[in-house]
Amino acid sequence: MSAATSVRRRRFRWVALGWIGVLYVASIPWYRETGAVPDLIFGLPDWVVVAIGCYLGVAIVNALAWLATEIPDSLERDDSEGTDEP
Amino acid sequence: MSFSTLGVIALGIYIGGLVVMAVFARRARVDLGPADHFLAGRGLGAFVLFLTLYATAYSGNSLLGYPGEAYRRGYSFIMATGFMMSIIVVFHALVPRLRPVAITHGFVTPGDWVRHRFGAEPASDRVATAVSILMAIALANFLFAQLVAMGIVVGHVTDHAIPEWAGVIGLAGFILFYETFGGMRAVAWTDAVQGILMLVGLAFLLSWLLGESGGLSGITAELARVRPEALAVPDARECANWASTVALLGLASVVYPQAIQRVYAARSGASLKRALSLMSFMPLTTTLVVTLIGIAAIPRFAHLDRLGADAVMPSLLAEWATAGPGATLLAILVFVGALAAIMSTADSVLLSLGSILAIDLFGRSNRDPETTHFGKRAAMAVMFVAVILALVPGLTLWRLLELKMELLIQCVPAFLLALHWPGLRASATFYGIAAGGVVAIGGALVGFGRIGGVHIGVLGLGVNLLVAVGWSVMSAPPGRKTA
Repeated sequence: MSAATSVRRRRFRWVALGWIGVLYVASIPWYRETGAVPDLIFGLPDWVVVAIGCYLGVAIVNALAWLATEIPDSLERDDSEGTDEP
Repeated sequence: MSFSTLGVIALGIYIGGLVVMAVFARRARVDLGPADHFLAGRGLGAFVLFLTLYATAYSGNSLLGYPGEAYRRGYSFIMATGFMMSIIVVFHALVPRLRPVAITHGFVTPGDWVRHRFGAEPASDRVATAVSILMAIALANFLFAQLVAMGIVVGHVTDHAIPEWAGVIGLAGFILFYETFGGMRAVAWTDAVQGILMLVGLAFLLSWLLGESGGLSGITAELARVRPEALAVPDARECANWASTVALLGLASVVYPQAIQRVYAARSGASLKRALSLMSFMPLTTTLVVTLIGIAAIPRFAHLDRLGADAVMPSLLAEWATAGPGATLLAILVFVGALAAIMSTADSVLLSLGSILAIDLFGRSNRDPETTHFGKRAAMAVMFVAVILALVPGLTLWRLLELKMELLIQCVPAFLLALHWPGLRASATFYGIAAGGVVAIGGALVGFGRIGGVHIGVLGLGVNLLVAVGWSVMSAPPGRKTA
């Protein structure tokens, strides 16, 4: 893999992880009025649909982030992520 | 043929299949060393790796504990899908860095990493011992929870023709047999079958429930009638608990010894990333499904007590089985799938526990074949004690899971922080674990399981990190790089 591709993948992975963080924050209904009677969407309370939608988004983005991740099988190959032993 | 007779026959066929697989796994072994027994010779490909990760992650807690908790809490337990997914997210911080070090140095247990990382420092052994003790306690708790769940399922699947105590003892014996006989290879192969059974079974059960209840709309309408608070927007405390549970499960589960050992056992980094990529979707096909099953049970079983709620899944299956011959067969399939999920977690836990006891706590070599035998004997001893404890009813499966995670999460700095921060010192890590452990255990003992909805273990981790980072910075020799 070329150095440019490796850098692109690493950057994509960090952006993906950032989006996952945003989706997790949005999945919790902290911004809704406590105890409010929700509207129903597809037979589910709307805040539940939002949470499921966020988790579906996390699943897709996380799967793509894993595919963009390099997992070296030895320390000799471990050059792209700067993962020298601490 | 009656439901209980069919249940006994299905159980017999399933156990026979496990024995055959253990024999094949035994024949496939390459040598008698610990890496072959505990890590399947580091040869697990993407597909088997995915299924063994899946079957290990989704356990008796998922199939009995989660529907039970969804029954108690209502729709707010949708958080379970999020926290199961967070495990695969947090793995990003562990796997790419740990795997190359582990393969290069031939690690077998999590303690191997800790000793390697802090090897040159005087407190290295203390950290490794503290981490191994916490992991061993957490695993023993996990094994105990699986045995309790096994008893519940066997009792229901055979309509109590086989009593719960006999199910616990008998199945514990079979797990011991195929785990000691075939090692990680047998565990991974049986996990693969068990994972498929669980997926198929849950899909059938949910489709029956939706059909019976008039779809999601029907379930929600009934819920609004019998327990309207179960669909209302959760309050601030419940939202804090939601975030805390995502953090607790996400962080603590990545330091599951059996998960770390699967990182070591993968054939290659490429296999591992494909397996983890697929694992991202499994909370949607499993956790979400069992949550909806638990919620659908609320109108059907109106007044179950806290412990009784753990049996909502078997109770639903028993009800389903009365709907006709086809439903009976499918219900039996789901029962076996549930049992399979529980056994697959129990066997992985036992294998991991054996290796930790032998290598990390009793100091056996991770290359000596005698260590394998010692690990097997240690696993047998732990299983014996866990079986006795499992015969005494007590805590809910969910509370057992929380207690385990609150201890396990204290190991996080020794892995995630140690992998990413060269300045972390062994003594600081040890005192951090001790401080976090005191907060978590002390809080639980005096009845502060959660403060403002946040788990005491998560607060303990905060103290743990403060001590570990603060002590490392303060005790760094002048001029030493700490960041």
